[in-house]
Amino acid sequence: MSWTNNRAGRLVSGLAPLLLPYLVLFCGGIMLTICQSFGVFTPLPHAGAALDAYAKILTDPAFFSSFGFSLGVAMVSAFCTMAAGTFLAYQVWQLPAKLATAALIYKIPLILPHISVAFVVLVFWSPSGIVASIAHSLGIIQTMQDFPNILYSGWGLGMVLAYTLKGTPFAMLLVLALLVRFDVRQIQTAAMLGASGVRIFFSIVLPRMAPAMHTSFIILFLYGFGAFDIPFVLGESRPGMLSIHVYNLYFKHDLARRPEAMAILTMMFFFAVIFIIAYSKTVQRLENGVRKL
Amino acid sequence: MDLAVRSVSKRYKNHTIIEDISFDVGPRELVSIVGPSGVGKTTLLKIIACLDTPDTGRVIYSEPLSKKHPVIIVFQDYVLFPSMTVKDNVGFGLKARHMKKKQITEQVDRMLVYFQLTRQAEQYPAQLSAGQKQRVAIARAMIVNPAVLLLDEPFANLDRNLKMETARFIRSTQQEFGIPTISVTHDLEEAFAMSDRIGILLDKRLQQFDTPRQVYFNSVSRKVAQFLGPVNLIPEQHLSLFQGSRDPAAPASDKPVMARPENLVMTEDANGSGRIADKTFAGHYTVYSVAIESHAYTVYSQDDRFAVGAQVNLQITPY
Repeated sequence: MSWTNNRAGRLVSGLAPLLLPYLVLFCGGIMLTICQSFGVFTPLPHAGAALDAYAKILTDPAFFSSFGFSLGVAMVSAFCTMAAGTFLAYQVWQLPAKLATAALIYKIPLILPHISVAFVVLVFWSPSGIVASIAHSLGIIQTMQDFPNILYSGWGLGMVLAYTLKGTPFAMLLVLALLVRFDVRQIQTAAMLGASGVRIFFSIVLPRMAPAMHTSFIILFLYGFGAFDIPFVLGESRPGMLSIHVYNLYFKHDLARRPEAMAILTMMFFFAVIFIIAYSKTVQRLENGVRKL
Repeated sequence: MDLAVRSVSKRYKNHTIIEDISFDVGPRELVSIVGPSGVGKTTLLKIIACLDTPDTGRVIYSEPLSKKHPVIIVFQDYVLFPSMTVKDNVGFGLKARHMKKKQITEQVDRMLVYFQLTRQAEQYPAQLSAGQKQRVAIARAMIVNPAVLLLDEPFANLDRNLKMETARFIRSTQQEFGIPTISVTHDLEEAFAMSDRIGILLDKRLQQFDTPRQVYFNSVSRKVAQFLGPVNLIPEQHLSLFQGSRDPAAPASDKPVMARPENLVMTEDANGSGRIADKTFAGHYTVYSVAIESHAYTVYSQDDRFAVGAQVNLQITPY
């Protein structure tokens, strides 16, 4: 028994450099956020009831439109990123060895900060941007106003573009990690049996890539749902992204509204947890059998 | 459908893999190419399957290959589709041909019954034994009525006691479906048991291509004979000591005569030219080592009564 205790003690002390920051920063941060959402440990003494902030948010239509908009932008951008990443990873995987090495260029957006990617999108797609200039030079548009309002159309397209550009190499990285261990003879066998390229992709290759696709979708969706930097540069105000809503409540309003900001953050956190559980369960049910590999 | 392999050679990075390989496979024929590991058997198979191209030579099919009548290779580790059930694996080729669902179900069910896989229909490859996986792979290939079936080391992943049973099963299946089949293997016994003809691939070349009996008992060279199993090399000066071994009309030769241990018969004789030097029990036969002068000859016999030290005469019996 003492041997077991000693071993567990050694393990905990060995992991302490990782566990301590996790406990203090992450768990502590979550706890403080939850507490402040109930009006506890707030900068100003909270006069109302514990659930006042939640009541106020949940009766505010602006919150729901922001929530829906954030959900939509995150969903579309995660899906586009995953689809683009998967398709490109499959193409890169099929390249001859020499070209595949050159294709490592795809990793460049990985090292760029999100804010830089937001500015890249802005520089290219704004009405005074590079694409508009090229269109003007080619005579496709006459004035800036003729260029479609892609970035601020009310659909969050600018953010979707930025998330897709930034996230695609990440999705490719995950998918390629699986593909390098994929047995090419499965494709040869399917082709010998008469399958077309499309059938081979959807029946043979896609199931193999699915775990990486699901992982990248979850990560990209949750990032897109809660991130601040890209919406700060490319976001719109009506409706705005939830992260911007929280930022405004936290920094631009009365300190008395701090519990509302924290209540939104708390709800976003629990939404993320529920989303991960629900998604994983769904995937597990759909892939029953494949998981037995 | 029949096919002819003509002068096929293949090199990788200045290293010759196979050289000047030629043989024919007739319709309904099962041919095995045997050789040690790394001799280029799989390369040859890939060339026949059009998965690789020869540097010289060509493979000629009596009818042009098509999507409807393809060449199908069953790989050594079967390469089943892991995300599909046995049923879906077997029916994959029919789905790829856009066949109606009802027809697919009927054909797949028939195949599963023939290959004794009905109980495994809903299982995934990871849940099957090696033997079951192989049957799924062959069923998946057979269901599309291939022009030629290629088997890459069909016995490599099987238990020893399952190999011969599988060889017989492959033979009967091939006869039933009437599909020309080429198998590459280094399992000799199984190749002998199931093949109409056998090719011996040694030193990058096809050394002999003939019926199993002919290849085994009338090997073209000492190397081929020794690859196929133990062989006694009887020098010219000893031939007179082997009763019935010399055709009086045959011209004398310096080359030793090759005789398999099972072709030598012993008879006890106090004045015999040989003496039993050793005796080993090997299950369904006994291995004797018979010394004649300075030479030792190996004899397989089902008769266990000979004692070590006994004087015997040896006789070569034709197979």
